[in-house]
Amino acid sequence: MNQPLVCEGLRRSLGENEARVQALRGVSLEVPAGSVHAVVGPSGCGKSTLLYLLGLLDNADAGRLLIGGMDVAGMPEHELTRKRNEMIGFVFQFHFLMREFTAEENVMIPMRRLGRLTSAQMRERAGALLETVGLADKRKRLSGHLSGGEQQRVAIARALANDPQIVLADEPTGNLDTANSERVFSLLTALVKRESKALVLATHNPLIAKASDWVHEMKDGLITRTYSNTTAAVPA
Amino acid sequence: MSPPLFIALRFIRHRQRSILISLAGITLGVAFFICTQAQTQGFEQFYIQTVLGTSGAVLVQDRFQERYTGILQEKTNEMVSVSGQKPRKYYDGITDPQRVMRAIREFSDVQACAPVLEDNASILTDFRSDVCRILGIDLDLQLAATDLRAHLIEGDLGTFRTTQSGVLLGSLLALKMHVRLGDTVSLMAAGGETRRYRVCGIVQTGDNLLDERRAYVHLGEAQGLLGKTAAVSYIIVKMSDPDRAPQMATRLEQLLQHRARSWQERASGNLQIFRAIRISAAITVSAIIVLAGFGIFNVLTLMIIDKVREIAILRSMGYQRQDISAIFLWQGFLVALTGSVVGCLLGCALTYGVSHVPMHIRGFFAADHFMVHWSGYHYLLAVVIAFAAVLLASYFPSRRAARLAPVAILRGAGQ
Repeated sequence: MNQPLVCEGLRRSLGENEARVQALRGVSLEVPAGSVHAVVGPSGCGKSTLLYLLGLLDNADAGRLLIGGMDVAGMPEHELTRKRNEMIGFVFQFHFLMREFTAEENVMIPMRRLGRLTSAQMRERAGALLETVGLADKRKRLSGHLSGGEQQRVAIARALANDPQIVLADEPTGNLDTANSERVFSLLTALVKRESKALVLATHNPLIAKASDWVHEMKDGLITRTYSNTTAAVPA
Repeated sequence: MSPPLFIALRFIRHRQRSILISLAGITLGVAFFICTQAQTQGFEQFYIQTVLGTSGAVLVQDRFQERYTGILQEKTNEMVSVSGQKPRKYYDGITDPQRVMRAIREFSDVQACAPVLEDNASILTDFRSDVCRILGIDLDLQLAATDLRAHLIEGDLGTFRTTQSGVLLGSLLALKMHVRLGDTVSLMAAGGETRRYRVCGIVQTGDNLLDERRAYVHLGEAQGLLGKTAAVSYIIVKMSDPDRAPQMATRLEQLLQHRARSWQERASGNLQIFRAIRISAAITVSAIIVLAGFGIFNVLTLMIIDKVREIAILRSMGYQRQDISAIFLWQGFLVALTGSVVGCLLGCALTYGVSHVPMHIRGFFAADHFMVHWSGYHYLLAVVIAFAAVLLASYFPSRRAARLAPVAILRGAGQ
């Protein structure tokens, strides 16, 4: 699937009455498989809102969103949730791991919901993912006993648990030091490239933006500029 | 194992202390509920056994005659009224007991019946005189229809059977009159006829009102003493299923034209007291379970506040609203299940222990230890109350958790 994620003219307003603001004012985006897209811009420009819409956590007021080539408009909530479980992986600024669970069990949580693998298969896949993120030796450790960088790496493994076509990351390195930031981002991009997934990440970090395939600059709810780090800039 | 159950088990394990406190409340509530119900119903059942053992399931008494006025009565110049029944006319006692008993025995529910002639009399010894109730009985029929044999605490029924002028005295009456086995007492009927009787046995029903009044003599003797040849006051009817006594009483009344009273009617006042005590105990002890339910409510509500980000993440990973709700409902269910199982076992042990606590009771019935009634219904009711309280307490937090909007939580998570 070459275009796992396409959106056209997405609009979204937030707040009530006088406090209502237009968070997105017609955002269009195409994310091919195997590409890394960074969405950059000042706080409040609509980066997170865009990710929540792309991740089916929120509904657009207008516009069109295709996930895996399928228009999600009008889909019932349980269907959107199921699609999220099957096709989308999230990585947030704060890892939000369940502290009652080990690293391995945290990675298994999305797999349990999908219900396609046996316990042994889930354990095996979780082990493989943790090994990929360099935490094979800490799979049995409670997540609360891991460092911040390690926890975020577990969160990446968890996001990839159900082999999603799309990975959405909201400031995935925002809570990490420089060394861990680089490591987490490298890991994420390497995995996305290797497994031909589409990665959209919102970031303030210029180094991460520079290392992405495409950069979308946002301002006041609009993508004002899109450019490839390998080709010339394309105005939005 | 379903994902919500897996997560619920893990949450419980990491909230052991607060969950255990609520669990203890449910367990104790269930156990106390079972124990108090077993006790109150135990005493009630024992009282019913005493009533059945002394005067049977149904008492067939005075003959009556239904009386009617004219069906149509002119009330005014133009109006005609339809009239009802007038009060029955009663005739004292049963004049043909053999015929009535033959009819009663035709009912398959009837196990035995016994005629009794009962009237006031005076009991006289050298020491003192007092009033008593003479009960003229046919010994064999009485033994078949009542627990007289079990109530005999001193003496010998064989001696009474062969002694025409023998008497069985209530235990408190004998005590009051200072008489023992083999002593002689005089019984004087209201008409002045006096006869002497030898005490062949002491009877204790446990009911003071009976034990301080009753003097049993042979039926023929009583009829002679009271001058009521061939008549009896009532017939005691023993039934295989005493719970059906009201229906039997109604049928006997219709068939025999004699007043018939079920044990439920005769003991209704005391039964209401027992029922009130049982319900009161149930309400009081249920309060413990309800309070424990509030505990669960608090634990789950705090857990949801604590887990709000994890809930948002679960939703972002594709967990449905009902999955989130199920995580918290499962916790409530597991607490209710564990509390019910352990509570039932503890309740069973408590009930067994209480049944062996010595306690001397006389006045209402005779018992030397706590009475308990073993009934699966008590366990079922306790479990139903526990589940209702806990699941209701879990429902509202679980609904709240399911309604959480992940975007709103995630949006505020970094702030």
